[in-house]
Amino acid sequence: MADKSSDPLALWQKMMGEMEKGYNAFANQAMSSPEFSKAMNQASGATAGAQKQFAELMEKYLLNMNLPSRAQMIGVAERLQNIETQLNEIKATLQQMNAGASSGSVGVVRPPRTKRPPAPPSAAPPSGEKK
Amino acid sequence: MNAPAGLDIASIPERIQSEVQRAIQRSIKGVEYFQTSGPTLGSTPKDIIHSRGTMNLYHYRPLADEIYRIPVLIVMATTNRGYILDMVPGQSFIEFLLKRGYDVYMMDWTPPRPEEKSLSMESYVLDFIPDCVRHVQQDSGEADISVIGYCFGGVLSLLYGSIFNDGPMKNLICFTTPVDFRELKLFHNFADRRYFDVDRLVDSVGNVPPEMILSSFEMLRPASRVTSQVQLWENIWNDEYVKSYRMFDRWATDTLPLAGEYFRAITKDLMWDNKLFNDTMTVGGRKAQLADIKVPILHAVAEHDHIVPYDAAKHLITKVGSEDKEEVMLKGGHVSLVAGPNAIKRLWPKLDSWLGGRSI
Repeated sequence: MADKSSDPLALWQKMMGEMEKGYNAFANQAMSSPEFSKAMNQASGATAGAQKQFAELMEKYLLNMNLPSRAQMIGVAERLQNIETQLNEIKATLQQMNAGASSGSVGVVRPPRTKRPPAPPSAAPPSGEKK
Repeated sequence: MNAPAGLDIASIPERIQSEVQRAIQRSIKGVEYFQTSGPTLGSTPKDIIHSRGTMNLYHYRPLADEIYRIPVLIVMATTNRGYILDMVPGQSFIEFLLKRGYDVYMMDWTPPRPEEKSLSMESYVLDFIPDCVRHVQQDSGEADISVIGYCFGGVLSLLYGSIFNDGPMKNLICFTTPVDFRELKLFHNFADRRYFDVDRLVDSVGNVPPEMILSSFEMLRPASRVTSQVQLWENIWNDEYVKSYRMFDRWATDTLPLAGEYFRAITKDLMWDNKLFNDTMTVGGRKAQLADIKVPILHAVAEHDHIVPYDAAKHLITKVGSEDKEEVMLKGGHVSLVAGPNAIKRLWPKLDSWLGGRSI
């Protein structure tokens, strides 16, 4: 069987790994400079400003057209999701109450809190406090 | 012409056949990849016992006949979803804890709504965590609680533990938790106070968009996105590889926005002034010094963590005031420390052996 030094697939994978490491190291070094930080933040600052202006303009446009904006639609969707969550909680509570009533007990039965860790192989006991 | 040293001529036809079969499988599976969704994640049975806006508190249904007295509350990092700790059956940290007899709760996060942009560090440390702790106490009927914090969830847990140092936190476990923020070198450079106008950003966008968080993580290893897709194509015939790729890729790209005021505080107090490391951190006017943490603490760090390098995490154990404290360095990266085959054989058993004796 061929060893890894002559396996073309293994060589390809090794080369990819080395290229990834090399490029990451090179990019990290370049991104560590103050010049990079300055350029990146100038670009992202301009983008954030433009995005905000565009969003405000669009909001006004939609308002004039008597249409809901994306943010308003998301707001409605989130409120619906909250209502669904609360309905599910109410449903779960009712189911628990029904189960409790039919079994004659109230609430969900949980396992006892009596578990102890398995004894270590040596004689030394764990240092945890006991109640 | 001679064959290169180590090349077995006889194996060449067999090798060609194997590669042809893989190429055919790649074509078939490649089509399947786009036609199917990934595995269902976070499916361990649970109940949402408390929910407030961006915050959800889950209680996982016990899987053991007998459980430890002290419940465990996991505080997830605010940038990512909690299902990294509950991938699929057999690869779920939560399932592991439940089967080992722990009573598990998790604080998980959903994207903060636009009106939640005013959530601050105080909201998380002085409100959300204490509120969830109270719910865990009520639900479990136990006064004591063990807290596990992952990444920035660890920072929040440290801040909570240092302020509420008279209880009810009984044990603290941190996974890859930064303390010295100067050592997050690239993040520190991205947020250079001379060029990064955090006030302008937060005032412009409200909540910091997830694309910005994701791209700052991806910039730490810019080539890895491309090479991981090349590797996926090479291994697309391998169902297990594809399943694992989809799980981790989905989680990594499922980044959450950050509440604006909270992001402002992280940038100013931690990235710029390094207050946690310098012992000058305050939250809502209350001192938050690591030396005030006295409970037993375990800090698990990853040998090849590119997000929280060891230099950023190593001071945690030396700075806390606990007598019972331990740092453990395990092979792996920031994510493979807590999830995947590496975590199953390294971190999970270590955590169980440390926490079991302290949970009675």
